[in-house]
Amino acid sequence: MQSSTQPFVPSPVKIRVSNLFFSYNGREVLRDTSLEFPEHAITAIVGPSGSGKSTFLMTLNRLWEELPQCAMGGRVEIMLNGIPQNIYAPDCGVEALRRRVGMVFQMPNPLPMSIFKNVAFPLQLAGEKDKNMIHRRVEETLRDVGLWDDVKDRLAGSALSLSGGQQQRMCMARAMILRPEILLLDEPASALDQKAAEAIEHLLVRWKQNCTILIVSHYLDQVKRIADSVVELHDGRLRNRQVSTSRVSL
Amino acid sequence: MNGASMGRLVERGIITFSWLAGAILFTVICAVTGYLCFRGLKTMSPALIFGSTDPMSALLLRQRVFDGLFPAMVGTLLLVLLSVGWAIPIGTAGGIYLAEYAGGGTKKIFNLLFDLLAGLPSIVIGLFGFSLTLFLNRHVSKELHPCLLMSSIALAFLILPYIVRTTQIALENLPVQNRLTGLAMGATRLQNLFHVLLPQALAGMVSGVLLAIGRCAEDTAVIMLTGVVASAGVPRSLLSHYEALPFYIFYISSQYADQQELATGYGAAILLLFICLFLFAVAFVIKKSLPCQVFSQR
Ligand SMILES: Nc1ncnc2c1ncn2[C@@H]1O[C@H](COP(=O)(O)OP(=O)(O)OP(=O)(O)O)[C@@H](O)[C@H]1O
Ligand SMILES: [Mg+2]
Repeated sequence: MQSSTQPFVPSPVKIRVSNLFFSYNGREVLRDTSLEFPEHAITAIVGPSGSGKSTFLMTLNRLWEELPQCAMGGRVEIMLNGIPQNIYAPDCGVEALRRRVGMVFQMPNPLPMSIFKNVAFPLQLAGEKDKNMIHRRVEETLRDVGLWDDVKDRLAGSALSLSGGQQQRMCMARAMILRPEILLLDEPASALDQKAAEAIEHLLVRWKQNCTILIVSHYLDQVKRIADSVVELHDGRLRNRQVSTSRVSL
Repeated sequence: MNGASMGRLVERGIITFSWLAGAILFTVICAVTGYLCFRGLKTMSPALIFGSTDPMSALLLRQRVFDGLFPAMVGTLLLVLLSVGWAIPIGTAGGIYLAEYAGGGTKKIFNLLFDLLAGLPSIVIGLFGFSLTLFLNRHVSKELHPCLLMSSIALAFLILPYIVRTTQIALENLPVQNRLTGLAMGATRLQNLFHVLLPQALAGMVSGVLLAIGRCAEDTAVIMLTGVVASAGVPRSLLSHYEALPFYIFYISSQYADQQELATGYGAAILLLFICLFLFAVAFVIKKSLPCQVFSQR
């Protein structure tokens, strides 16, 4: 909201997408999309179901490459450690990229291991050995997402026994534990009650100090509350839909 | 008769049929084990296993057992362990390759080849083992004869498809979501495989090993052509002849002299069942204690 009232303050670009095409089995989902996402801002992505929002998020951490029979065209540039990088360049390490660009899936996806292991998993994958540091991080991150009090007595229990909303928050904690520069959230609050959703919203607003956040959401009031700008996905194209301009264009 | 009551009738029919199928299976199992016990139980005694030899000195391999099944039991046990030991690493790696790394054309070809291998009659595998032994004898070392080693290698070929297939299917059946989860956190494909996919696929993979154990323990055709003999004692090395329970059963049932000898055949069958049970139990214990289970406590 703030940025739309001061449209001429240039904020540095974190993600630059140019001429993006995407297709599953030859069926085009995204076509010729070019867009920039500002740093330290929350950008909401809205659009009808099946329009390709989740797909778009996957082009930003190259996760689609793990799916069979997809094709992408175009260019995605991300500022990593202050340097613009073409993330599809051959010299860009995909694991390092995914550590800097965290992702929360549309469906909560706890791994079949303990709650603690789930949250600490990205750290362990990254080769972190310091037990104390891992414990501290896990606690801190679980506190952030408001889950610590619920689970502090059952950290060794299975993550599959958490409720849907708890799993969603656990997955957010897991995505945040590496302190990524970009956070891709795919409807992170769909299974949360009003209070938990609001807590998450506060958290996101706080996190954007250190992080650029893209959030897919179907809840317009939620979008209005937290998003600095809104992007609409329609007909395979992404368009900025700021409050002031939307009245003119629509 | 209207549609709803018709549907109910069909449903009741299906339920009855399922019950029937279950009952038949149960009856067959009971009948087979019951008959085995009826014919063989009276022979069950230390004498069946150790004959007239002192059990302790037989177990410590101080004395050879001539008139008991001890050498055949040891032979079968060693055979199963060796074959499964060869087949597990190769089969698991093959399954992982097919599920995770092989692309389009290669995958189709390998799938076809493994299906063919799975469909080969065991006597053909036995012939292959026999020819391989001959070949090695002629071109590598005159010391190589049909032996425990050659049998276990031939048997490994027999069970390889089971292990490859179950590994492959267990991995491929994991939901796509699970696969993406680890990768999205920055796991390498190898990390994802070892920390996320394999622990979840393990239960399925063990069922392949169980199948393989059963297959090894019962097979007669392969070992008949590659090294089993009626009387050899406990094998002294991988390169010696050996005895095995299924072969003993086959041998006794085809040329028994009296009812007493036939009864020992039934006794051998019961022992074979127990060996299989024992190996299954070991497989389960190993599965439970595998280190990657720490990652996946359900
Ligand atoms: N793995 C896949 N294989 C083939 N088609 C796919 C695959 N994933 C998504 N699609 C198709 O691509 C289109 C975009 O899907 P996507 O999941 O990105 O939509 P979405 O905007 O996230 O929808 P929702 O709001 O319902 O989550 C849909 O038509 C979908 O059917
Ligand atoms: Mg979606």
